[in-house]
Amino acid sequence: MNAIAAGSAAVADPPAPGRLAELTDRVAAVSAAHLDRTDRDAVFPVEALDEMRRTGLLGLLVPAGYGGLGGGVRDLVEACTTLGRTDMSVAMIFAMHCQQVAAVVSHGTERLRAELLPQVAGGKSYLASVTTEAGKGGHLLTAGAALDATGDELAVDRFAPIVTGGAHADGFLVTMLAPDATSPSQVSLVYAHRDQLSVEQTGDWQPLGMRASHSVALRLRGSVPEHHVVGAQGGFRSVVTSVFGPLAHLGWSASWLGTAAGALSRVLRMLRSPENRGRVDLGSELLLTRLSEARRRLDTVHALLTRTERTVSRSADLSLPRIQLQLNALKITAAEECYAAVDGLIEAVGMRHGYLKGSPTRLEHALRDLRSASLNYSNDRLHLADGKLALLDPEVRFV
Amino acid sequence: MDPRFVDLLTPFLKFLGDQEITPETSLREHGLDSMQAIELLFAIEDTFAVVLPDEDMNDATFATAGSLWNVISAASDTDLTVPDADLTASDADLTASEADRTANLR
Repeated sequence: MNAIAAGSAAVADPPAPGRLAELTDRVAAVSAAHLDRTDRDAVFPVEALDEMRRTGLLGLLVPAGYGGLGGGVRDLVEACTTLGRTDMSVAMIFAMHCQQVAAVVSHGTERLRAELLPQVAGGKSYLASVTTEAGKGGHLLTAGAALDATGDELAVDRFAPIVTGGAHADGFLVTMLAPDATSPSQVSLVYAHRDQLSVEQTGDWQPLGMRASHSVALRLRGSVPEHHVVGAQGGFRSVVTSVFGPLAHLGWSASWLGTAAGALSRVLRMLRSPENRGRVDLGSELLLTRLSEARRRLDTVHALLTRTERTVSRSADLSLPRIQLQLNALKITAAEECYAAVDGLIEAVGMRHGYLKGSPTRLEHALRDLRSASLNYSNDRLHLADGKLALLDPEVRFV
Repeated sequence: MDPRFVDLLTPFLKFLGDQEITPETSLREHGLDSMQAIELLFAIEDTFAVVLPDEDMNDATFATAGSLWNVISAASDTDLTVPDADLTASDADLTASEADRTANLR
């Protein structure tokens, strides 16, 4: 259904106007100071995470009753867009953390919420998502490794090929087969605190872009108490439909839009700067057309993002095909258009400021990061789902 | 639940094993994935000659055998009423035109 709609506990006391921007600006400033190094060395942005802890931004979606900022979906979108303008890795790390927090807020047991959420709000718990698993081809809704129930404890033994921020997370939300599952779709989501697990990191992280997301392979082994199951045993699907999926697509798309908007902004500032005004022909029809194209792409994504955020905030049941289609359309469109906008800007400004490292436009960094967007839950897979969903909505009604 | 419904559902539930399908049988847990929902829908529409409303194409409908059957039953009831109403309407038209004819003959 919908576990993140306006009026739910997650949006009880939204942060005061301007307060959120102040916090995200502080994190963005720290990100900016370190992004060249974290990108070059493919290391996690520890300093930016520390600033998220200090500012309380990690608790954006934690209800005020648990000491958090009490923000909602719109606040998440705004924060991710702002952070993305500076560093897409930082924005995506934040988006995925908030997605985990929202799952605990909406589906966690009261005992788990009381134990964990004040820790998140206090900046002590950064949460990572463990949904990837070898051999399942990126399918979110199936799992291979099963929870083993012995007494009140659930044993976790799980390998995950890609865990963003896994080496630095204080806790993990892990998908596992429910104990005694009879089919691969009986997936449970469990929370494990880092000290409840032995965490073994394997392999290296040397990607094209998103280098600071430090998405490593982890082997997790340990055990957690029964009340750490988030949602019903075997009920991960409803967590995905009502909160996980929508927040992923909104948070990611906002991060990508921010990254492309930051790139366009830096290009425009460079073109308008006093030292360049004399050197660049701002009357060039080719340049103007390319700027127009980039801006149009971003306005398209922004409109769809705003609209989808409203749909998610207001709809009672997010499982309806036309709502799923809008969410998937947002993700696919944002991935394609944000990448294409930055690619077009590289054509517009040329080799030195478009292709080389060290330009204040940082276009080559943005392009490498945005190349991951279509792969981060593959657009190809979403198109297949959308084709089926389209057949379920023959009247073609829109939200 | 209609035995024809149970028969058409069975091949979609590849993890059912030897269990019987009851109204409480979870469709997702026993193997129905979202990619198969459309094939299941076609099978239902062909077997029961109904069209399920778009509004019901949600997770709640496809949760259990019973929830899906309820939607099919409701759609079948609706579909039965509509042709009756049409029939009555055309009877009325026929009567009217007969009356017209009679009037013309006079």
